[in-house]
Amino acid sequence: MTFARRAWAVAWKDVLVERRSKETVNALLFFALLLLFVFQFALGPDRERLGQVLPGLLWLGFILSGLLALGRTFLVERENDCWEALVSTPGDKSAIYVGKLLGNLLLIFSVEALVLLLFVVFFDVDITHALPALTLVIALGTLGLSAVGTLFAAMTAGVRARELLFPVLLLPVQVPVLLGAVKATEAALAGEPLSAVAQWIKLLVSADVVYVVIGILTFDFVLEG
Amino acid sequence: MMPDHWGFVAMAYGLAAVVLGGYWRRLARLEREVAAPRTRSRAAR
Amino acid sequence: MTATRALGWLSLAALAIGIGWGLGLAPREETQGNVQRIMYVHVPSAIVAEYIACPLIFFASVGYLWKRRAEADRLAHASAEAGVVFMALTIITGSIWGKPTWGTWWTWDARITSVSILLLMFIGYLLLRAATDEPERAANYAAVLGIVLALNVPLVHFSVYWWRTLHQPPSMLKPGPMTLSPEIVRPLLINILAYAILFAYFVAKRVRILKTEAEAMA
Repeated sequence: MTFARRAWAVAWKDVLVERRSKETVNALLFFALLLLFVFQFALGPDRERLGQVLPGLLWLGFILSGLLALGRTFLVERENDCWEALVSTPGDKSAIYVGKLLGNLLLIFSVEALVLLLFVVFFDVDITHALPALTLVIALGTLGLSAVGTLFAAMTAGVRARELLFPVLLLPVQVPVLLGAVKATEAALAGEPLSAVAQWIKLLVSADVVYVVIGILTFDFVLEG
Repeated sequence: MMPDHWGFVAMAYGLAAVVLGGYWRRLARLEREVAAPRTRSRAAR
Repeated sequence: MTATRALGWLSLAALAIGIGWGLGLAPREETQGNVQRIMYVHVPSAIVAEYIACPLIFFASVGYLWKRRAEADRLAHASAEAGVVFMALTIITGSIWGKPTWGTWWTWDARITSVSILLLMFIGYLLLRAATDEPERAANYAAVLGIVLALNVPLVHFSVYWWRTLHQPPSMLKPGPMTLSPEIVRPLLINILAYAILFAYFVAKRVRILKTEAEAMA
């Protein structure tokens, strides 16, 4: 089987499992909804103030939901005693990484779409003009988050205090992506062309490339452990 | 022209000594702990 | 005298020279006054942490995954520990320097902020090592994490720098620009060298301890 087909097989398996049980997707979507209520209560109804911090809030919502989603990446394998099967797969195990990454991206994009929709509703923002730029920025930022998150999820799967260690490891690493994504989102929402924030976009792209390449190159070693 | 803040300078250098010295002492302690069981088991033979 | 102990005495001598020069011989800086002398601790710590410890962790981690030599794993571990010490020192001295010059204990300036992120990342590295039970698995995971973190360092560096310098809030208190005359650069370089030697001493000692531990368990 070629690399691409194996990756696709892993991703498709995850999508099927999820479609049948719907446990992760539903809980995540509901979590996103709750988050938005909590943001409202924590920050108050002052529209002006909210408008200023909107990009940051949006990414806070994405990251918190993303943490939950990514932390569960290998939960199914662990709970159902499939971990050994995963580890003893012959050949290049990086296909598993890419497959898991694709599955995670699909999951997180769905949640982010809902979060974005809820933001438009709750905070009364008009994003129609910004949609293409916004989509690109969200895609770049989410890829950065998911690429490292999928790798770290495998790494922390077998250690003590894994639920705590996973966010502890992931959050500091995400700072550059967070900074770039928020700045670029600000520009997109303000109607500026993305070329105005060109270096942030370049940063996001570089980060994404580095994270995905490292994930592919090192995943074998993580499963080995 | 800013007034001299020797107090802050002392604080900074003092804390540097505490941090670096503290780590050195931790290393010295680890060295002792790692050497001790071996010498003890050798003496027991 | 072992090489490690020689390093120890050398670092002590170098530090004595560096600190003495920085506190005494070096001139009183024009705009900031004597508070500027904190720079002779703050900047060398930052340089050792970001430009010596992090690359060392990267190469040791890559070396371990490539050649599987235990020495590489120990070097990465020791460098991360000592690196964390120097990162913490950078932040502490930076904060103390900031209070009289910028008016606040925390200034969000590019160097302190990025080193803080490095500190958080590498504390996580040490926590991962501590949380993994089997030594071989710990070495594997730590090596992969070490590579990710080390490659992240330039991303952190630039993102924080752009974050701070592109959108300067006009109301922030700023000290005047510092004059970097040769009388200031010279003690700075001496101190950087001294702190680098101290770092090497810490790493050498720590590696030796790790090696003894490993042999005892074998």
